[in-house]
Amino acid sequence: MPSYDDLRATAEPAWHAVAMPSRPLFVVSLNTSSIASGAEATLAALRELGASGGFDVTATGDTGVSWAEPVVEVRRPGGPAVLYGNVTAEAAPAFARAAVSGIAREHAIGIIDGPAREGVPALADLDWYRLQVRWMMRNCGVIDPEDIAHYIARDGYATFLRCAAMDRDELIQVVTGSTLRGHSGSFFSTGTKWKFLKDARAEPKYLVCNADEGDPGAWVNRVIMESDPHLILEGMLIASYASGATYGWIYLRDEYPLANRRMNMAIAQARERGILGENALGTGVRFDVEVVRGAGAYVCGDETGLISSINDMRGMPRIKPPFPAQQGVLEKPTNVNNVETYAAAATLLRIGADEFSNVGTEANRGTKMFTVSGAVARTGCLEVPFGTKVSELLDAAGGIAGGLAFKAMQQGGPLSGLLPAHVAAGLPLEPEPFRPLGAGMGGGGIVFVDETACVIDLNNMVSWFLEDESCGRCTTCRGGNQRMYEIFRRTARGEAHPADPQLLESLSATFQYSNCFHGSLSPVIMNNTMKYFRDEYDAHAVEHRCPAKACPGLIRYVVEHQAAAVADAAAICPARAFVQDAGAWAIDDAKCIRCHACKDVAPEAIAIVDKFADAAPPPASPLATIAPETVRVQARP
Amino acid sequence: MLENEATLEIQHLVSEFKPGDGDLLAALHKVQHHYGYVPKIAMRVVARQLRLSEARVYGAATFYSEFRLIPPPRTLVGWCSGPACRFKGGEHVRKALEAELGIGMGENTGDDKLGLHLAQCNGTCEHAPQIWVDGKVVGPLDAAKTVRLARELKEQP
Ligand SMILES: Cc1cc2nc3c(=O)[nH]c(=O)nc-3n(C[C@H](O)[C@H](O)[C@H](O)COP(=O)(O)O)c2cc1C
Ligand code: FES
Repeated sequence: MPSYDDLRATAEPAWHAVAMPSRPLFVVSLNTSSIASGAEATLAALRELGASGGFDVTATGDTGVSWAEPVVEVRRPGGPAVLYGNVTAEAAPAFARAAVSGIAREHAIGIIDGPAREGVPALADLDWYRLQVRWMMRNCGVIDPEDIAHYIARDGYATFLRCAAMDRDELIQVVTGSTLRGHSGSFFSTGTKWKFLKDARAEPKYLVCNADEGDPGAWVNRVIMESDPHLILEGMLIASYASGATYGWIYLRDEYPLANRRMNMAIAQARERGILGENALGTGVRFDVEVVRGAGAYVCGDETGLISSINDMRGMPRIKPPFPAQQGVLEKPTNVNNVETYAAAATLLRIGADEFSNVGTEANRGTKMFTVSGAVARTGCLEVPFGTKVSELLDAAGGIAGGLAFKAMQQGGPLSGLLPAHVAAGLPLEPEPFRPLGAGMGGGGIVFVDETACVIDLNNMVSWFLEDESCGRCTTCRGGNQRMYEIFRRTARGEAHPADPQLLESLSATFQYSNCFHGSLSPVIMNNTMKYFRDEYDAHAVEHRCPAKACPGLIRYVVEHQAAAVADAAAICPARAFVQDAGAWAIDDAKCIRCHACKDVAPEAIAIVDKFADAAPPPASPLATIAPETVRVQARP
Repeated sequence: MLENEATLEIQHLVSEFKPGDGDLLAALHKVQHHYGYVPKIAMRVVARQLRLSEARVYGAATFYSEFRLIPPPRTLVGWCSGPACRFKGGEHVRKALEAELGIGMGENTGDDKLGLHLAQCNGTCEHAPQIWVDGKVVGPLDAAKTVRLARELKEQP
């Protein structure tokens, strides 16, 4: 097997050829987001243009700039490296002509390697980048994730070599002392977990990399896997040395086929070079890893559900203890960490504990990756120091789009919470400040919500998800989520019962007895919204009115003006709800499904009105006639 | 295909998988990749190969939302149920799809031409609200665009 120095010697020319190319090089971001924006067509178009246009074309992963995909970086000998956005295949010819010898101003996002020029700002000065400390993301959108040479040439696997020369307890101590805690949202000390595994007596020991990333609105793990897969493998190798684990599984959700392909490629390339296997880079460390493809189950993100799933069972979480470090995959001691946690560990050990502690807060040193989406002007993935304020993150994302007001933040998936703007804006992004609010920070997905959203509608989405994804093992979670969803559904239908708020409160108190966190955290968003948006609950349940005009049972679509566009509206209606009488159009409310298609084509002519503005509301749902007293639950002793 | 012929084919397909090695998901994926769904008979073969009870394999195959137990439609339309899509009118898109195609999530049209699948956010939220037509992201949509698209899909040969 080649030595590390040999690997490095062969890797460097390959990297230099793209880092300092001898003629212009167009580097196209190829990731799930960019492909959705047509980046494959851009790549093909640029390849064809480059063949005769005197430039080369290659690919990279994800810069995090989803808001301007397809993104292309152009590196030029003697010129600045420039990041460009919105380079579609159609725009490619004109773009290439300009970018090959100068700066293509209309597409320029920023200058990567220097100050502003020709009216194009330095990347580092943009709102999107100014906050960022791209430690874990330093290779994202820079190297070709499908070529291990790029990773190695940029010091890849050198950190592992250094760690493998350290005493294992000292190594674990560095990780523990750094304050590094699980980036999945668990925020459990990573060093302590590695120590549990090291101290476990049974053999063999295993590692799991949790790449299930099930929180809707989060794609942090995807960005790392699609952009820098070896960083994760290096983190796992370090953990394997520290803990004595000899085999690992990367449990990767089915929704990420490209990440799956790139992780498998990275594993194959690392095996070929003797980095994974019997004797990693001659250190004596034995470690290999495989990818397990998930199949669409949120609870498989829970570590015990994940372990059940690898163990040929339904992916149902179970009660702890035994903890994974005692009994995990194939009943052997196992450590489960998130993708980003392995990346953070490798990063911490690369830059050293001292520099690491210069960034972040006292309790949470270092950085965290976030994805921002929803009502923001700029959707994407960024890496910022722990302690960055939510309002700063929102500013980086360009604020709320369309001049609308910031209403709320839904962070960390369906189990972490939903906080109103006035509470969220000043919060530092680290776990502690969220806890007294009855919320969590979660694993990095942040969805911003504007004033047009309805809180009941939002709870309908969340409780539907929670009910659908409950594994069904414990009645508390299964039945609890069925009842919670039922209450929100009837509220949206306009059939809320006056006792519903009490029913929700007693449900909330019951959920804590669930087997796993899926159940016990199910009421978090409901609790947050009951506390901060009670007026909206009352508007629906008491006034029979949906202020945002979203809940189907409380609104009506009506023809307000007999304009020409109404004929188009009638033609588009998939429910055939339009009727014409003596030339005048009307909407048959019994047929209308509130899909909004008519208003999309005839926004002026169609109006949404309160259904019960002057009619009697429907009777409360008979399902809710249980007296609330009979369902009171004792607080946990 | 005759039943034992099918059995042999599936046996061959899953012959690389071993008992007690965490291979069940991989075996089911391989079957689904080959047939487009997981036929009942495949569960029996997989159970035998991995030395698991048929009930356990059936339990797993029905637990995960990505395994289909019925043949796939010719065109599969995935609807994103995630938050960014929801806030931007994802429910309108769902209602328009269901009404225009006359089917609900998880169902196929009578001629198996089109099917709807409830999908989870894959982080391409800048295209919200969106659907996936045979895996390809289409968005941002609104209800009217969705109805037009659904009508085009129905018209396809
Ligand atoms: C319902 C549920 C879903 C979860 N989903 C994920 C997930 O998708 N990814 C993840 O890393 N952790 C998830 N977790 C947390 C894991 O159980 C576990 O704590 C985590 O993988 C530990 O990694 P860390 O120490 O790096 O934070 C989930 C937990 C629950 C209860
Ligand atoms: S919410 Fe639909 S893609 Fe993220």
